[in-house]
Amino acid sequence: MFNETILKEIDDIKVRYPDVRSALLPALYIAQKEYGWLSSEAMAAVAKALDLPEAAVRGTASFYSMFRHRPAGRNLIQICTNVSCLILGAEKLVDLLKARYGVEPGGTTQDGRFSLVIMECIGACGTAPAMLVNTDFHENLTEKNIEEILGKYK
Amino acid sequence: MITITINGKEVHLDKQMTVLEAAKTAGIKIPTLCHHDLLKPYGGCRLCVVEVERMPKLQNSCTLIAADGMVIKTESDVISKVRREILELLLINHPLDCPYCDKAGECELQDLVDKYGPTVSRYKEEKRQVPESHADQIFTRHMGRCVVCTRCVRMCENVQGASAISIVGRGNHSRMEPFSPTSFNCEYCGNCLTVCPVGAILSRLYIHSFRPWQVDKEIETICPYCGVGCSLFVQVRDNSIKRVIPRLGKGLNKGLLCSRGRFGYEFIESNERLKNPLIRKNGKLEQGTWDDALHLIANKLTEIKKAHGGKAIAGMASPRCTNEDNYVFQKFMRMACRTNNIDSISRTGFAAAQNYIEDLLGQGVTSNMISGLKVIVIGNAKGLERFKTLAVVPPVFKEADTLELLLTNIYKAKGVRGEKAAVDKMVREMIEKPAGIEIKEMDELVKMLLEGNSISIVLGMDLVQRSDGHRSLFAIAALTYLLEARLFLLSEKPNEQGLIDMGCVPDMLPGGRPLDIGDFKHKFESAWKGSIPEDSGLTLLEMIEGMNNKNIKALYIMGENPAFNLPNGSHIKDALKSLDFLVVQDIFLTETAELADVVLPALGWAEKEGTYTNLERRVQLLKKAMHSSTVMEDWKILADVSSMMGYDMDYASSEKIMEEIAKVSPLYRDLTYKEISSGDCLWPYHGEPLRGELHKVPITAGLTRDYKADLYLSPEKPLFHSGTLSRRSAALRKICPEPALKISAPHAGKLGLKEGDRVEVSTAQGSINVSISIDDSIKDNRVLLGNNFEGRGVYNLLSYKIDAITKAPGIEGCEVKIERKQ
Repeated sequence: MFNETILKEIDDIKVRYPDVRSALLPALYIAQKEYGWLSSEAMAAVAKALDLPEAAVRGTASFYSMFRHRPAGRNLIQICTNVSCLILGAEKLVDLLKARYGVEPGGTTQDGRFSLVIMECIGACGTAPAMLVNTDFHENLTEKNIEEILGKYK
Repeated sequence: MITITINGKEVHLDKQMTVLEAAKTAGIKIPTLCHHDLLKPYGGCRLCVVEVERMPKLQNSCTLIAADGMVIKTESDVISKVRREILELLLINHPLDCPYCDKAGECELQDLVDKYGPTVSRYKEEKRQVPESHADQIFTRHMGRCVVCTRCVRMCENVQGASAISIVGRGNHSRMEPFSPTSFNCEYCGNCLTVCPVGAILSRLYIHSFRPWQVDKEIETICPYCGVGCSLFVQVRDNSIKRVIPRLGKGLNKGLLCSRGRFGYEFIESNERLKNPLIRKNGKLEQGTWDDALHLIANKLTEIKKAHGGKAIAGMASPRCTNEDNYVFQKFMRMACRTNNIDSISRTGFAAAQNYIEDLLGQGVTSNMISGLKVIVIGNAKGLERFKTLAVVPPVFKEADTLELLLTNIYKAKGVRGEKAAVDKMVREMIEKPAGIEIKEMDELVKMLLEGNSISIVLGMDLVQRSDGHRSLFAIAALTYLLEARLFLLSEKPNEQGLIDMGCVPDMLPGGRPLDIGDFKHKFESAWKGSIPEDSGLTLLEMIEGMNNKNIKALYIMGENPAFNLPNGSHIKDALKSLDFLVVQDIFLTETAELADVVLPALGWAEKEGTYTNLERRVQLLKKAMHSSTVMEDWKILADVSSMMGYDMDYASSEKIMEEIAKVSPLYRDLTYKEISSGDCLWPYHGEPLRGELHKVPITAGLTRDYKADLYLSPEKPLFHSGTLSRRSAALRKICPEPALKISAPHAGKLGLKEGDRVEVSTAQGSINVSISIDDSIKDNRVLLGNNFEGRGVYNLLSYKIDAITKAPGIEGCEVKIERKQ
């Protein structure tokens, strides 16, 4: 299931740890980055790449809330609607995303480009409103620049 | 010496242990939930807390190492309060569906709540709702009941090594699941079921069919499946087996079981069991009376004996029958039928190997107990893969050469002690020959073996089933000798060792005493009151040839199915058909029984008493759990026929037979049922082993054929099936309903085959239609198929060549063609 590049990436991670089990979380992230979510096939492929039991991989993956177990978009928007962001118009931004991309919080766009998740505070109250797109941090969002920013994620 | 005080009682410990273990040695019970004696300390549930003087908080006794001078209290008001609160927290979610739960009555949580409370909960929240899962064929999961003690997961991972299940989810939503949320797709050992303290994992075989306190009786007996000889506890109600369980610390399995032992008992109550004798009339098997059947057998055998002599009669004993059955069988053959033509299916592996090795090293070399830490695997041993420290993959069909190369290397590095001059001489000759192969792991292997102490060598029977099987056996024997190792021969059937000990071999009397040594023969003759035929008899495959040549006219088979269990099935069937008279004594109408002139129904495992001798040479007692009114013990049938033929045999019970065995067999001397049931009855009992001398001819040259074909067919020993018995066990059939041809991924790819594709497997002997299963543990161009399912056993497709020295069938190198089939 994994191509050579991914297998190479996982091999590179393996050597960083004395115990191969420690490489499990980073390897799961690689799989998630590639497929957007962790299907049974993806977890089985991680188990095979690390020579770990499939059940143990699933057990670990199911423990952490940042691994997704249902199909998700290629890019994950996590937008904060907590107090500071709320005051500075985060809800309007959410409405804009709904209207512009046709995506509900917790859902995925039809073309599979974005998944939207409402986050609690991401520690950017001074520069609110803020969001994470995948692992990139974006702050001081406005209705104008948010579209510009998201335009970069295909 | 460590001295601690528990509940005011001084406890002296001679080695380091936890407080929980120390309390147990003093007979003080501390309640536990996550702890299990088969598992390592975990410290999850906190129910085992104790007070330790001068330690500020309560301590987990399961993880606390006892230190000299500790003063411990295991019960107090504070401790009870803590335990009650822990249980109250568990009961927030654990449903109180005890009236419906099968575990009620043997539930550890129920017992704990009964002892510590609470009677009323302070928590009013709704319980979590987790639906029951009945998706698997064998296990049901009621994860609402799970208390997340993780015993099942630790058992599966640390003891069984299968790692098929894990805890999934987090917090309130944690539950045990296999990787595929539907079926377990594991080895189905069911050890998770044993350790589950609550009713979260249950067996579908008996779900909602009885309560634990409703069994009529529980019988401790021995597993009918393989030569390990695990202890089983059979629970019976209304003359029907309700379930089979292991008991912690009991038997050599000490609380563990495999799928066959635990779930494979249904065959005994199969509708296909034979209930009445069958007699062939006008070419068809028809129901007859016992009287007619036994008289017919006695008359026919007497007639053939008179016309052609005892040598025209042969007998096949059974490694599934007890020692008592087999003892009476050989006595019947020798004394009533006047023949030494007695052998069994064990000749295809265990008996051949044991005979050869004991000839080299003396009797008893194969009697050992298994232990070990590091595992070295040579060749394909799938089950051991996960425990291996080093794996060596010999080139295809070059295992004997690999072992010889290893022996050469060990010999060069270590030298010889000079006691066994014959071994020494043969090894020297071997060293002078070029090895002809290269093994890249050889240096590491030699180093590990020379550094190891107390090495155990476990030999599978695949290596014996070669036309040069004796070469491997010599190498193994010499390695055992040079490394001062302990040797185990894997035995597929439960009583292969016992069968040999009872004298069901053509050249030996009970106790492994050679027939050609007059002194032994005379002793048996005076005990049995008659003369024993002079010459050694024919081995199993020689009997088959004898039937084809018309030298053997009559064959008496007890509990064996050679038409299915021997290679080249159609050849064997032809041989059986050419007989004048064939008697089969069995529990089912097998492929062989269908060819018989008389078929006699016999009692099976769980219906009779007797003893099995396992592969460690441990004698163990089988007990009767159920009654059957229409059929008889194998020994009883034999004794009746024998008396009709003029050689009187009359035994009141199997115990009486053991009394005779204990008198005449120098190995089982003075053994009684009482002694056997009291505990470990281990080699050499009270008897005298025989130290043999080297009889066998020197090693011949290696396999000279070129193995250049694309694919070779070899037999597989699958985990779930043994053949005749297992295929009539509904549960095992559910786990593994169909035979599958195992093939390596590269070879499947080359043929364009995917998992589950139907293929036609053809050899020169014939062809069968099966699905394929891709197996990563196969490292060469062999494809594997088991010999278990009716009409589709691998032995039908294999031909054999007899190893001139061991007399075992060589079945290696069978070229095979695989074609996709819709």
